[in-house]
Amino acid sequence: MQAAPAYTAVAARHTLQRPATIPIKPQKVSWSPNVRLYVQRAFEPDNAVQGIDLPAMQDKLKVVITNAAESGQLETIDWSQYPLPQHLIKEDRDRAAVYGAHDPLLTNINVPIMSSPAGGAYSPGLSSKKRKNGDLEMSDAESRDITPPGKRKNTKGGLEDRLTGKNKNQSKKEKKAEAFRARDLGANAEVLEKRRQRFGVVGSPEPSSFVRSRSPSLETPSSGPLIGTCQKLEKSYFRLTAPPFPETVRPLAVLEKALLHIRTKWKQEHNYSYTCDQLKSLRQDLTVQHIKNELTVKTYEVHARIALEKKDLGEYNQCQTQLRALYKLKLGGKQEEFTAYRILYIIFTCNRSDMNNVLADLTPADKQMPAVQHALKVRAALASGNYHKFFRLYRDAPFLGPYLLDMIIDRERLAAMAAICRTYKPDVSLHFLAQELAFNSDDSDGSDADAGPRQCLDFLCHHGGESFIERKEDGDVRFAAGRATAVFEGARAAAFRGIDAKPRK
Amino acid sequence: MEALWSDFALAQRTSDGYLLGTTISPEPPKSDPARLYNFHRWTNPGSLQTDLRYKLQYNPNLKLDKKEANTWLDIFTAYYNFTTTLLAAEEAKNAQRPREADWSTVYESWKNVLNAVIRAYQNEMFEAWTIPCLYIVGKYLRIFAIKADDNAALAQRDTDVALGVHDEDMSNSSSSRNEKLEDAARQIGRIFALCLGDRSPLDDSRKWALYYIANLSFKTYFRLNSISLSKNILRSLQAQAPGELPELSAFPRAHQVTFKYYSGVIDFLSEDYKAAEEKLLAAYEMCLYSPTNTTTTTTSRNRDLILTYLIPTKLLTSGLLPTIALLSSSPNLTHLFQPIAHAIKTANLSAFHAALAANEETFIKRRIYLTLERGRDLLLRNLFRKVFVAGGYEPSAAGAAEGVVTEKVRRTRIPIREFAAALRMAGMAEEEIGDGEGGVDEEGVECLLANCVYKNYMKGYISRDHDLILISHLDDDDDDDDDVDDDKDDGKLEQQKRKMSKKW
Repeated sequence: MQAAPAYTAVAARHTLQRPATIPIKPQKVSWSPNVRLYVQRAFEPDNAVQGIDLPAMQDKLKVVITNAAESGQLETIDWSQYPLPQHLIKEDRDRAAVYGAHDPLLTNINVPIMSSPAGGAYSPGLSSKKRKNGDLEMSDAESRDITPPGKRKNTKGGLEDRLTGKNKNQSKKEKKAEAFRARDLGANAEVLEKRRQRFGVVGSPEPSSFVRSRSPSLETPSSGPLIGTCQKLEKSYFRLTAPPFPETVRPLAVLEKALLHIRTKWKQEHNYSYTCDQLKSLRQDLTVQHIKNELTVKTYEVHARIALEKKDLGEYNQCQTQLRALYKLKLGGKQEEFTAYRILYIIFTCNRSDMNNVLADLTPADKQMPAVQHALKVRAALASGNYHKFFRLYRDAPFLGPYLLDMIIDRERLAAMAAICRTYKPDVSLHFLAQELAFNSDDSDGSDADAGPRQCLDFLCHHGGESFIERKEDGDVRFAAGRATAVFEGARAAAFRGIDAKPRK
Repeated sequence: MEALWSDFALAQRTSDGYLLGTTISPEPPKSDPARLYNFHRWTNPGSLQTDLRYKLQYNPNLKLDKKEANTWLDIFTAYYNFTTTLLAAEEAKNAQRPREADWSTVYESWKNVLNAVIRAYQNEMFEAWTIPCLYIVGKYLRIFAIKADDNAALAQRDTDVALGVHDEDMSNSSSSRNEKLEDAARQIGRIFALCLGDRSPLDDSRKWALYYIANLSFKTYFRLNSISLSKNILRSLQAQAPGELPELSAFPRAHQVTFKYYSGVIDFLSEDYKAAEEKLLAAYEMCLYSPTNTTTTTTSRNRDLILTYLIPTKLLTSGLLPTIALLSSSPNLTHLFQPIAHAIKTANLSAFHAALAANEETFIKRRIYLTLERGRDLLLRNLFRKVFVAGGYEPSAAGAAEGVVTEKVRRTRIPIREFAAALRMAGMAEEEIGDGEGGVDEEGVECLLANCVYKNYMKGYISRDHDLILISHLDDDDDDDDDVDDDKDDGKLEQQKRKMSKKW
């Protein structure tokens, strides 16, 4: 008699994949015309982005639509506005490339925001990392318990598909990252799915096949930087004390529109507190999503200019610092203009070592730019005490230079007065002074030719020079420079003392 | 190989710290060039401990007690591992494969040696005479850090090219570029704190290492371009009460010169030119150099460095220019400063600008550009003086009695136009002096004159009504006027200027 075998025969598996119980692509679902249009747009050669080949785009498209279908958002998403797969890929790559940048760079960029009095206390580089890891671990645990096997099989298959595609592109350096990913393969897929569904984000940030020069611990697979979902155009600024919810953060597309909106409103209303608030919140959204592209540069430039106009040097300085780092990333932007501003700003703060550094950093190409040349001439003129030249340059300052120069013009006028008082005896005409010290009113206002001298008079009186003003019989107003030396020397010293600068003697 | 141990034994017996230092040095002494190699071959990781112990503890020539022997055991173990990495790196370098030379590991292994040495001091195992060991570890730590960083930068660039990344600036951010050097700076800071906190009496104290270590820190911080950190070192040294730290003059000359140089440069960068002049001058005079001693090339370099900062400082504080004799002693200095000095002396503006532009990069790198720019003021003063001199003398006072020698008085009322002409001749740019219609921008010239007066280079006042400047002659020494005729004589001119600058 043959005993029943002590084992139960089971057919050996021939493939790694378990039979998918839920089809990845719900073929039975009919595609709405919007979706079809979207797909068409994606394939149009006009919309192709350089550097992203067709297979990659197709993969991404598949992913996008799959996710939309699974999360039931096929109908709700506005496909006509939705970014094309190639754009999504490009965003991911940019983000990953920047996100993969060395940590100090990130923290450097974040520090100014953190240190500003109203700046966000949220440091994306650090705490987001913590949060992601924490998230991973947490959802890891729960996913193992809760997820039904069917679902697990499904996503495993999907992820594998994607990964095999990626393997071809990986460089040696990514092998390490790959090992790390492979370890947590199943669990990670769970986590990602859950996250994606939680946020309702359809375009998942995939691990970029772009350059990766950092250790794998920096990049948790597919759980890239935060993507916002808020669609509001206007948003007030609140200092962050914890990682923000994606519902409060605006994604890139919305931010672009928001910037345009803010600019138009500024031109119409010139409401600085409102605009500043909006811009800060814009900056915050950009930072928490680790977006560093032309939009970021533009935002900072816009804010810097507006701050300059309104003489808000604190904000201006923040923007300037950020811009400096951003320019290094070669994202474009008005480098000529802002380099010039930077030089003028350092002149204002009388920071010798910074000036040394800036001069060392200037490339010959920089020095060709007219605005930079102007700023350098201002520096040279002030360094040698050539007030005459300085006031000439003041009149010709390009871009928003006059606003910056306005900050220093008062003290430079006092310095000039000190020199003039010392040298010119017995007196000088008020017109001469007004001319020299750039007290001319606008040329357009030709009717009031005396406005300049009058302002000059105000200036002199304001600093204690009334007693030296004499009116002669012929109507000419003279200023007894010879006797006023002490007064203006004192005023000058006081003006320069305020900045903790050394007098340029 | 035995040479190392005999040196070691000798050093221990005679308390010769420098000799002791050479035993753990990365560079083999001249008498024993194959030392490292032999040391490496002498044992292997397996029997390292026993071999070392044999040499250290059971060596009849050495009288080390158990604890001390153990400490040296640690140190030499680390040293052994270090030689492994160093030899590998050097081999790669010699075999024309510099990219493969793994200086990073060399640095790390040397850091282990450093840690072992520091531990020895922390456990009060070593007496003060051994501090040259600290010198060695610190000095080479810095060197290896620089090498490691350079290599890392090269490697980074390679991978960037391979992967087609163009954002070089991003990946080569200065923080990653100087990673090892920053680490080295921290380590040197540790040593510094270690020496500073030594409570033993001064005769036997580690404080004697302080200035050397401070100098090491300066070198590192300067390279990292963080002057503020250097100031911290200065402050902590100054905070020492007089009894706790010996006077600088008690330290070895080498330490003194280097220290004075660096603190002088720090003062220079903080625009404290008086203090800078003092320190740099002291360093210069103490610096071991004699024109006839051509064998020591290193000291000449030190002297050049000191002068690179001393010359601009002197320019600013006393308006003195370096003599040709001084500059000719070093081709480097001549190249840098001679054109400028000449331009100032001859009051040639275009030459001055050309000279500044020619070496602009070097000047900016050394941070002396802005200071040298102020030489322009001197130049203008010289120019104006020439105009004054060229003005000739006043017609002698009418009705002077015969035989009475009236003192020749120089013309004091000088039209502004003459200065403008002089400026033009000296090469001032048309845009600066012209008023756009081919005429002269009188106010501009007046401004320059006003500045001269303001800075006490001239005494006088401008009268706009008459378009003149009246130069005061009341305080002039009449002697000076006579000497000024000898314009051609450079030496005299120096003297002249010195007199004038002192007076004014």
